[in-house]
Amino acid sequence: MQSAAESENKIFQALADPSRRAIFESLTQGEAAVKDLTARFDISQPAVSQHLAALKDAGLVDSRREGRCVYYRVEPRGMKPLIDWISRYRAFWTERVGRLEQLLDKMDQ
Amino acid sequence: MNPTDKTAPSQTASLSLEFDLRHPPEKVWRALTIPELLNEWLLPIVELHLEPGASFTFKAQPQPGWDGTVNCRFLEIEKHKKLSYAWVVGDFLDTVVTFTLTPTASGTRLFLEQSGFRPEQKQNFGGARYGWKMMGGKLVDLLARVS
Repeated sequence: MQSAAESENKIFQALADPSRRAIFESLTQGEAAVKDLTARFDISQPAVSQHLAALKDAGLVDSRREGRCVYYRVEPRGMKPLIDWISRYRAFWTERVGRLEQLLDKMDQ
Repeated sequence: MNPTDKTAPSQTASLSLEFDLRHPPEKVWRALTIPELLNEWLLPIVELHLEPGASFTFKAQPQPGWDGTVNCRFLEIEKHKKLSYAWVVGDFLDTVVTFTLTPTASGTRLFLEQSGFRPEQKQNFGGARYGWKMMGGKLVDLLARVS
């Protein structure tokens, strides 16, 4: 539970920054090197690298080195804590409405 | 009970559920708005005044990572038809829960939506909210790739 909450917080913090979110969304289109992303956005190369490091720390992107270039891509499993979190609420409401029905059966008109 | 998952593919950051209840909307409305009844099916409630803008609090059993408090505020109250309130947990979950009641031949169709699963950053409140909505579609793309 605790670690799931931590993962969620990391994901949220990483995606709450508009530039970082834009980089992440851009990576959902396909793998890209730092220089590609620098060209695509009006952000300096060190800033792009910093954003990518934060996304990687949150488990949202992965990287591989090829020669002098580092390529970044979206890590699909990175979103899982977030999806689990929303699913928990789905389970919560389904269970609670079950209780609501039981209560309605007991109530007077 | 027959829950149907009505979450649209483009809105993964919100939850939509539909239930058919064997009771009239007037009765369901009471269960949604009377504290003693809410205690029984949803969560223990601290105080409740049924008026737009009024705040109230649910106090659940504390869990690891959550003190059990849900801070709520009424947004829309349309008697026997629609009830909507902010559902806020800590400083990271700021959602809106909406119950819509429609009379049916056998009772009530309850449409339940919880929207606004998104990051909330105090210094960039509006931007983060908007951005999170935009993220919805991308989440679906990613989900498709996971499976």
